Amino acid sequence: MNGIFEVNYAAFSVFAALLITEIMGAVGLLIAWPSRSKVLDYIIPIWEVTGTFGAFWVVTGDFAYPGLLVPVSYIFTPLLIVFLILWVARGTSIAFAEFITKRGWLDEAKLFKSYAVSTIVLGLVVLVLLSALVGGQGVDLASGSFSILSWATAGSAVFVIGTLLLAVGLAPVFFDLGALRTLVLPMAVLGVALSVLSYWLMSPGLLTPWMAVPVLLTLAAGALYTWRRTSAIVTNKAVFLVVLSVIVFSLQPLVYPKAVGQAIAIDAVTTAGTMADAFFSITVVGGLLLAAMLALYVVVAARGPNGPSL
Amino acid sequence: MLTFVRFLFAFTIGSHILIVSTSIALAVLISISEFLSIHRHDPVYEALARRLSKVFVIAFGVGTASGIVMAVELVGLFPSFMTLVASTGAIALLYAEVSAFFLEVLALVLYVYYWNTFRSRYSHWVVSLFVLAGTLASAVFITMVNAWMNTPNGFDATAFVSSGFKTITGVEPFAAFLTSSTVPQVFHVLVTTVFAGTMVIGAYFAYWFIRSGDAAAKGMYSRALKVLAVIAIVTVLLSGISGSQQMGNLLVYQPLKYAALDGNAVPGTNLPDRFFGSVVGGSYVGGFSIPGMQSLLAEFETGQSILPGLSSYPPNTWPPLLVSTTFNVMTVGGLALGVFMFVIFVSFLRRKRPYESRRLLYAWIPAAALAMLVYQLGWATDEVGRQPWIVYNIMTVAQAANTSDALLVPGIIIVLFYLVVIPTTFYFYSRVFHASEAVAGA
Repeated sequence: MNGIFEVNYAAFSVFAALLITEIMGAVGLLIAWPSRSKVLDYIIPIWEVTGTFGAFWVVTGDFAYPGLLVPVSYIFTPLLIVFLILWVARGTSIAFAEFITKRGWLDEAKLFKSYAVSTIVLGLVVLVLLSALVGGQGVDLASGSFSILSWATAGSAVFVIGTLLLAVGLAPVFFDLGALRTLVLPMAVLGVALSVLSYWLMSPGLLTPWMAVPVLLTLAAGALYTWRRTSAIVTNKAVFLVVLSVIVFSLQPLVYPKAVGQAIAIDAVTTAGTMADAFFSITVVGGLLLAAMLALYVVVAARGPNGPSL
Repeated sequence: MLTFVRFLFAFTIGSHILIVSTSIALAVLISISEFLSIHRHDPVYEALARRLSKVFVIAFGVGTASGIVMAVELVGLFPSFMTLVASTGAIALLYAEVSAFFLEVLALVLYVYYWNTFRSRYSHWVVSLFVLAGTLASAVFITMVNAWMNTPNGFDATAFVSSGFKTITGVEPFAAFLTSSTVPQVFHVLVTTVFAGTMVIGAYFAYWFIRSGDAAAKGMYSRALKVLAVIAIVTVLLSGISGSQQMGNLLVYQPLKYAALDGNAVPGTNLPDRFFGSVVGGSYVGGFSIPGMQSLLAEFETGQSILPGLSSYPPNTWPPLLVSTTFNVMTVGGLALGVFMFVIFVSFLRRKRPYESRRLLYAWIPAAALAMLVYQLGWATDEVGRQPWIVYNIMTVAQAANTSDALLVPGIIIVLFYLVVIPTTFYFYSRVFHASEAVAGA
């Protein structure tokens, strides 16, 4: 077991879970604007936390794999810059939308929809990056380059479609949209099937017995929502976020012990020695701080939100 | 491409610190305003804190997004530098910064969205201190990384350079938390950041105080200006003290940068402080000087009487000598701001309410522009003064940079994007603050 990888991947799992729920909300904002309050009640306090977990993942990644920074820089920089532009667009749109009052052509609806579009496109860019990190499609390690044309294989395309289907299919669970209840399980089954197919298309070796964990958890979430008696379990946002984080965390065999189409052995590129000790020390201190703040948040949030009234 | 890479990162960080300086000053102002609202039972201060907290959410949102742009840009533009950072204690500083980020974001969510949930007003005010602590700690840790770039430690630099940047040995991860330049640099950056942000926010309130005919609104602006004026007086004084300490530190630990900044063509004793000339052909020409002043200050700070000169170093290691001019503008501008704040201080002593004096408030607006110029030049002087090195005496910018042509188009898009985002952000600060005013009927 590689503890540094686990910490970095755990940070990614929480970040991915938060981002997926934001994408779910973004889809809702675009297709069901009149019932936006359910989505905004969740997204508005949480989008800043998503960004912080994003930064956490990036920095722990830098710390964990110093030897990968040069190749990553040459291979993915153009894609990363597109990601950054979308990231700033997302952050600025929602920050402005949150407190805007209508004046002229610019209003809350336009800014929230701008946030939604940039978040969804951002999600697509992340999926392209992730599929390349898993299967290596489009990545040429020897020349240090990435080609979107070489990336566009059946495996990559099915990976993107399957993941999007899962995100959209589980959105009614997260935002408790009862009218779409019957669609959830079929969408989840189809999304899981396509995702598993994409892993097989990328490399049959990716399909280990561990894959049963995310598959069963995803199907269970869909099934629990289908029946009214059990739906309350998964519509609890904290529970859903934890389950989603666990699902992403259990997908780690896709990139560990080897990533980028089995070309990079993670253990060989992970930091070691005194740097590893420092990594764990700071993780413990930072983790305690985070846990204390989250505990405070839970205590206060239990009393109910009540924003600035002026 | 190397020039473009330098420009792109300089442009990004130059834009980023506009947001950061105002964010930090906002965090200070919000916390003080809420404390005063509780302590003096003054609802206007509470309204001020509530409105500013909304503005702070925008500042935090844009600042976080922009901070992530910088974090990823560092990897994309300077991969060899980031490999060194990630293999030594400098990365531990970035990791610690993320922990501070968590403190800030969770405290901010509680502070803004659960304002009325707290039973005790003082408990809610304490949360503002958490926000402030997280904001300041982020700034401290990132400045510590810069201090490490100026005076690197915590690894065997000789072995690293002689191995062609392949072998990093003797790593002491926590040494980077305290390099020989950390304390003076962090002190100087913190106080100047708060000062610059305070002046900019003050200019906004000064403008609206002058323009507004509404007595209630003017009451709120004058309260904000009163607090900001006090912060600015304290921080401009500390900026001067810390700036002097910073020069003393340069003299000891980065003598070449010191020589370039002070325009010392040759080493010597009893040297003057020179302004607005330039080093040409081995001597300083043009401008004006104050005899003996440089040596006097240097001896006071460090006890060192022989001051370094450029001629002691190979010309290919000299930074661009333009830094002497940026340093002069920074110093003279800083002194002018000090005089301005002294006038405000005297006005306070004479109980003249400087925060309601139209003459002083008119002057505050260009002073704020000068403060931001001085702040930006301070950063530029520090960075350009370290050239050609990205990590002093170890790795040059050219050795660290990714010069792939693939960066050009997306890099230009980032620049254009920032040109829209930064002015829009400041526009929204104002719009959100005034939207609250309309709702409150203040």
